[in-house]
Amino acid sequence: MTHRRAQSLWFWMFAGPAVAGFAAFSLWPMLESLWLSFCQYEVVTPPRFIGLQNYAYLFAHDASFWPSVKVTLVFTVIQLPLAVGAALALALLLNQPVRGRGFWRAVYFLPSILPQAVFAVVFGYIFQADGGLLNRLLALGGLHGAAWTTSPTWALPVLIGISLWGFGYPMVIFLGGLQNVPRELYEAAHIDGAGAWARFRHVTLPLISPVIFFNVVMGVIGALKVFDLAYAFSVAQAQPAPGGPARATLFYGLNLYQQAFGYFHMGLASAMAWLLFVCILLITAVNFRVGRRWVHYGD
Amino acid sequence: MPFRQREPLLWLTVVLLAVTGFWWAGRSREPRPAPGRTVISWYVIISPLRDLYTAEVAAFEKLHPGIEVHIFWVPGTEYNVKLKTLAAAHQLPDLFFSGDVWLSYLLPFSRDLTPLVRRDAAEFGLDDYFPAIRRAMQLDGKDYILPEYLNLSLLYFNRRMFAAAGVPEPTAEWTWDDLVRAGQALTHDGRDGSPPVWGSSRVEGWWGEWLIYVRQAGGKAFSPDGRRCLLDSPAAIAGLRFYLEKSSRYHFSAPAGFEPLNGFVNQRVAMIVGGHVNYWLNYNQTPGLDWDVQLLPAGPGSRSGGELAIAGYSISRESRHPEEAWALAKFLTRPEAIASIVARGSLSVRRSVAEAALRQPGPRANPHNLAAAYRQFEFGEPIPHHPNYVEIMFLVVQPEIDRMLLGELSPAAAGRRAAAAANAFMDTFGSATP
Repeated sequence: MTHRRAQSLWFWMFAGPAVAGFAAFSLWPMLESLWLSFCQYEVVTPPRFIGLQNYAYLFAHDASFWPSVKVTLVFTVIQLPLAVGAALALALLLNQPVRGRGFWRAVYFLPSILPQAVFAVVFGYIFQADGGLLNRLLALGGLHGAAWTTSPTWALPVLIGISLWGFGYPMVIFLGGLQNVPRELYEAAHIDGAGAWARFRHVTLPLISPVIFFNVVMGVIGALKVFDLAYAFSVAQAQPAPGGPARATLFYGLNLYQQAFGYFHMGLASAMAWLLFVCILLITAVNFRVGRRWVHYGD
Repeated sequence: MPFRQREPLLWLTVVLLAVTGFWWAGRSREPRPAPGRTVISWYVIISPLRDLYTAEVAAFEKLHPGIEVHIFWVPGTEYNVKLKTLAAAHQLPDLFFSGDVWLSYLLPFSRDLTPLVRRDAAEFGLDDYFPAIRRAMQLDGKDYILPEYLNLSLLYFNRRMFAAAGVPEPTAEWTWDDLVRAGQALTHDGRDGSPPVWGSSRVEGWWGEWLIYVRQAGGKAFSPDGRRCLLDSPAAIAGLRFYLEKSSRYHFSAPAGFEPLNGFVNQRVAMIVGGHVNYWLNYNQTPGLDWDVQLLPAGPGSRSGGELAIAGYSISRESRHPEEAWALAKFLTRPEAIASIVARGSLSVRRSVAEAALRQPGPRANPHNLAAAYRQFEFGEPIPHHPNYVEIMFLVVQPEIDRMLLGELSPAAAGRRAAAAANAFMDTFGSATP
């Protein structure tokens, strides 16, 4: 046996199980779902090929498809800048040489180790219209609180607010980026007369732009796939059908889950999944394209 | 050892490891039945009746030493998903919960029980079931469910709150006007800073209450052939309007979204229109809650329209032990078993048990007016037997009703939009005879 063949064998010995697992449990189900997206498949009967009808139904007739697209896009557009901005602001604060810095970093990271579902339940009670903590506090001040969780106007903003508690992970990544910025550059900028804002704008931001880019890309993907938060919120609000009131919190992921596991329209749900996949792929590609203009890798 | 000789050995090791891993992961963890015994599986919704079911199974196994029952407890919210997933994997339990609301949906894997029902009618007392229950057991003249319990829409009221407000308790002759008058007299809107108290709750998020008004106003959700949604008819819109105006015009229900949490139990809501028999147990466990029931107030079109739904047992079409599963279903629905459930706080699907409960109410205090609950049978209507009923109502219709409550749509617009969306759905996914 040649050395090259031996190397190849060793490679497959180690990589084989992982590749086999990926092929069996990721790649094959993905390809299967692509096929199912062209079928009518209600689980208990064999799939029946119907061409593009699932896609046509989603675009032209489904009463919940476009509302769920809208909810998800609104969430992404509003939540992403807030989440990235909050994480960056906190990382900047926690990068300052203050006493007990490690302690504060741990404190601010702490909420992120809790599942989003916990936030959805706890904040669901805080924002309860009748008897919720927030409205009781407002009543003490003579104010009449809104139906935060049960009004279509407020339910999504409340969910956006709740989701911001997951700032810990991007914050830690920002901290890592900030600690890699060479101090000499700040000193040089300082000597040149740059103020705090100018140092941030012209030193910090360009040097952490790869980290910002990473957080934005991951944030977009995460926001487009929101599910657990919305599902737990619906459960906490004892909504008979998730996504209420009046589809105000019917995220795309939640709608997809409902179609797949609530009503077993697996063909339709597969079509939705592939549309989401293509959408995320396109948005990520655009992000990378646009990123070339503002991300500096220092080479 | 040279590599050339080791190579087959390495491959063999990898293959053996993989095979062992797959075998270990996929092996059955089911305990083997004792020799000569037949094992049947039963998927049960987790409920406060768990101890009762466990005792029933023990008694059944004692009576039938050749049958071993494996119980699987499943949360109610996940039950249908679990069932359909098992159906897809051809691993359905022998016996499972079903109901007329889900029957059309569960039909593809429910066994036709008609031959068994006919054969054993005298033994298990088919005539003992109320006629309305008997009708609900069937779809297209075939039996698929052996009923155990039921839900019936009623007017629930808090006797203490009525007495404190000096308002006469509801009577069997009440109409919507009486409901409005009493509701308004019982309402305190909380402007003085105290928590508001409402004359009536308003069930939001599903059809539990608004469908009653639609039907009582003379409307229907679907045409008799199940091909069209009729929520855009003038009568249906009148029903939706009353549902809306409970808060917007008459002010005896909380505005949309402000319904007090567990308002009836917390005595911040004096009446419930519709309600659910499942809650009787909770009501009777709440200290100081003196509640009762009455016939639903009559609407302008009819007194009928409240829900009459049954739940019970179905046998899987794929069951390898249908006779054993049938024996368990009969055992679980015999009069003594139904009486045990009724004693916890419920209505009976069997006449004999209902009559006994009326003669001797038993230890539970409420409802006092049990006779009214059984009289409501005359006015109850089944849910349309449409395979996509639940989906259409939740996914397509309800969001328009929600928007109406929130002031975004008029009742007419909500009815029109709901009907149009439901009809588009049925045009795509097909319709069925309700």
